[in-house]
Amino acid sequence: MVSLDNANPVVFLRRKERHVLPEEEDDDVTDKFDSREVFDLIRVINDPEHPLTLEELNVVEESNVKVDDDANAVYILFTPTIPHCSMATLIGLSIRVKLLRALPSRFKVDVKISPGTHDSEHAVNKQLADKERVAAALENSHLLEVVNQCLVRRATG
Amino acid sequence: MPVNRSRNLNKQVSGPLRTISSQARLGQERFRGPRPRSSPCLAMASQFSGALQLTDLDDFITPSQECIKPVQIDRTPGKVGKIRVEDDGSYTEISQSGEEVKLKKAKITLNDCLACSGCITSAESVLISQQSQDELYRVLHENAAHAETGDPSQEKVVVVSVSPQARASLAAKFKLSSETAGKKLTAFFKRLGVHYVFDTTFARNFSLIESCHEFIRRYQALETDKKSLPMLASACPGWICYAEKTHGSYILPYISTSKSPQQVMGSIVKDYLAQRLGKTADSVYHVTVMPCFDKKLEASRADFFSEVYQTRDVDCVITSGEVEKMLEKEGSSLTDAEEMDLDSVFLHGTPEPTYSHRGGGSGGYLEHIAIHAASVLHGHKVDDLQYKVLRNQDFQEVTVEAEGKPPLKFAIAYGFRNIQNIVQRIKRNKCTYHFVEIMACPSGCSNGGGQIRSGGEGESQKERLQSVEEIYKGVPVVDPFQQRQVEELYAQWLGGRDSDMAKRLLHTQYHEIEKSTSALTIKW
Amino acid sequence: MTGARKLLVHHLKNSMQSLQEAQKLSGHTERVWCVSWNPSGTLLASCSSDKTIRIWGKEGENWVCKSVLTDAHTRTVRSVSWSPCGQYLAAASFDATTSVWSRKGGEFECLATLEGHENEVKSSSWACTGSLLATCSRDKSVWIWEVTADEEFECASVMSTHTQDVKRVKWHPTKELLASCGYDDTVRLYREESDDWECCNTLKGHSSTVWALDFNQTGNRLATCSADCSLKIWQEYEPGNAEGVNTTDNISVWKCVCTVSGFHERPIYDVSWSTLEDLLVTAGGDDSLCVYREVLTADAKNSPKFEMVARVRGAHAEDINSVVWSPSEKGLLASASDDGDVKLWKLLQEA
Repeated sequence: MVSLDNANPVVFLRRKERHVLPEEEDDDVTDKFDSREVFDLIRVINDPEHPLTLEELNVVEESNVKVDDDANAVYILFTPTIPHCSMATLIGLSIRVKLLRALPSRFKVDVKISPGTHDSEHAVNKQLADKERVAAALENSHLLEVVNQCLVRRATG
Repeated sequence: MPVNRSRNLNKQVSGPLRTISSQARLGQERFRGPRPRSSPCLAMASQFSGALQLTDLDDFITPSQECIKPVQIDRTPGKVGKIRVEDDGSYTEISQSGEEVKLKKAKITLNDCLACSGCITSAESVLISQQSQDELYRVLHENAAHAETGDPSQEKVVVVSVSPQARASLAAKFKLSSETAGKKLTAFFKRLGVHYVFDTTFARNFSLIESCHEFIRRYQALETDKKSLPMLASACPGWICYAEKTHGSYILPYISTSKSPQQVMGSIVKDYLAQRLGKTADSVYHVTVMPCFDKKLEASRADFFSEVYQTRDVDCVITSGEVEKMLEKEGSSLTDAEEMDLDSVFLHGTPEPTYSHRGGGSGGYLEHIAIHAASVLHGHKVDDLQYKVLRNQDFQEVTVEAEGKPPLKFAIAYGFRNIQNIVQRIKRNKCTYHFVEIMACPSGCSNGGGQIRSGGEGESQKERLQSVEEIYKGVPVVDPFQQRQVEELYAQWLGGRDSDMAKRLLHTQYHEIEKSTSALTIKW
Repeated sequence: MTGARKLLVHHLKNSMQSLQEAQKLSGHTERVWCVSWNPSGTLLASCSSDKTIRIWGKEGENWVCKSVLTDAHTRTVRSVSWSPCGQYLAAASFDATTSVWSRKGGEFECLATLEGHENEVKSSSWACTGSLLATCSRDKSVWIWEVTADEEFECASVMSTHTQDVKRVKWHPTKELLASCGYDDTVRLYREESDDWECCNTLKGHSSTVWALDFNQTGNRLATCSADCSLKIWQEYEPGNAEGVNTTDNISVWKCVCTVSGFHERPIYDVSWSTLEDLLVTAGGDDSLCVYREVLTADAKNSPKFEMVARVRGAHAEDINSVVWSPSEKGLLASASDDGDVKLWKLLQEA
């Protein structure tokens, strides 16, 4: 039987690590979150199926991360590798959980599929935006385990 | 729907074979079995118009987030290709050399549905693509083709077994008596090329007898086995499926092992009849006509599949509503159709009389077991049972009392809400009944999901149901224990009442379906 | 990082009212999903992802935690609701069960655990007679339980009219009419018909999940709020109504007569209609609370207008999940938030 899922995705180059400025390491200086910083949080998330990161699969891109620190808003678009990818909700959930854990709680985070890149775009977006469904999902130990695996940073190289 | 959008697929990383998940959309979903329903099947009827059941018959299922089935895929490494999404939502793979291959879609079988704990609903599209009147037509056309090419050895013996509830539904639709409807249906099927038409009431004799004996065995075993009672009826596949998927090891031991009339008929046709005809089981094609879609799932159970002959006891189940579609297709109305006598499995040419059993439209399990138990355990002959309506019409109880003996308590519980209360009482050890006749549909089998709905014409669905029940009852009843032909089969075919053969062919088993813990298939 | 946001109290020129924080009730260790007043307004129950229920009561001028109900649920307690007599408290949990607590003296005792839903139970509600309890779940079903004389709960009906997750159930204040709403963007009404309950109305209009609903005091209006950031008011038209709105089978029709939008920037998670005065309050994912009052208009029944009379931005530090007016004290309301706090607010006339 031929499977529909993408067994052989295109692999993209990772971006170079960001150069950390001295003032960023100074805890006394309050610096604002920017898109590069948020992108750095999510680009290292692993794909649930492939031994590759979301950045390497081009699922997340810096240009698809919008941050407005003053408005406490983070807006992320991600692009599934194929339009019927069954992992789309899981990938979205991983991004959401990563930001839930890493960003201050004042932020309102929206995670959506890049328009026109998935068959069930609306359904996936709606599910990811439903805080109650997300909260319940994270109480499911089996699901949480998979999400955690996506969030464990693998050795680069 | 995106149009002609191409995405690159780099195939260099792939191994030769790996298991990944794929999905399939289960088209129009309908509630199966004891799934909660708003009002007795009426809501369902409006969900599934006749048109839907007949059109859009694809032999594949389109993908969605809803249903995920792990499949094995075979990948050849090294090729680089693209996948194009077509206007119709199908996928075409384009290889480097420009060769285009339309990709197949993942297919979900009824067996997959049965084995999956993902949901307790089943999909209309799965049911109709694998078991429908079209399948029957396909076999009949093949038979006709074999006859033409002078290869009659390839021809299959086509047998149709009609359930009395489905017959009553068709009779109500065409304003006939049950007996007349049966004869007209027989003529209709035979004109299409069917060889034998039987009534599953014959098989129900065995289901009832086996249920009665099983009840006595369980009652007597109560001291050593706490889970022997209450015995729960097993004839309703929707209920069985729900119990297997949701309540597992808790409830399954209570369910009677006696086969349903459909599956007893399956054994008779594929074993006894095939032998009489000098045929192997796989050269007999057995179709049943049922009041209920869930019977299709029952027929698909691995328990009713012969490994040796690679054939099922019931090859195809079609519902009353689907027979109506066949009549429409043939431009035939049962009202003015000719009549032919029903066949007997003994093949002696004597027409099979139309008869029924006492009790309601769901088979009379409570009625037979209560009377049998009173006679065996109390030594009393009971003629009339008093039904006491409890919370609603679909929940009634019967108490059989005799001086100096502990009373015997029975109940009918139809529909999801009443099943819930029985299940919860059993879980809390508070169920005082000895036997419960459980059926998934409100009002029982006469109101099955596959029955023909009232098409307006001044007749409400409620009135139609009443008319189906009256027609069902308008047939003389017999005592299954007093049937000479039944005795004959026990003796000739099964080698006695309690033989291993009887146990094997008249009883079945149930399997707990483990909740899936694969995160990739968890719905949240 | 920046600290907690400054509390902004929004003053509106025309309304002359403001919502003032009266007290913050801290105790839950995780997000608080729901608050509920007992019928006399003397107790407040709250529940949380920390799997507990807290009962708050007044001591002197202050509200304090009277008891913590634990060990009944293995997952988030999503919502709590009091019976009309105030003797029972039902708690719906993500663990697929609903627990019913009995209040004897000052103590709460778990009387029953209702099983049957396939997965997360989202909400529960007691009918005005106290003999029926409704629950709803992500399994798409709404259940009605009947309370028997010996405090047993039996399933009286299971309705699967919703095509998705059901978020909230709420009984009519005086009749045995049940309303539910959810992820399929609809509101459904149910009534008992001969032998079983059935859905008698489906209210469509919202363009996303309907998170909550509440009847007005008399029960001829229904307010619903949604992830589409709007609040809708539905008016009942009884059979033979003067407006000539068509009804069939002697069943009332409910029509949307007003949509209030533009005040919340993110999903509205809860709405409450005061039983003491004609005021509505909404709470949302934008951390704000909004209070509305109906404006006098010529055709108040068929095209009412509502104006916002008070708004608090940043009422909590995070999403506000629940808001409810006190049943006994005018202008008093309680809210619950992802920030783990329950807050009491007073609606004040502007000086």
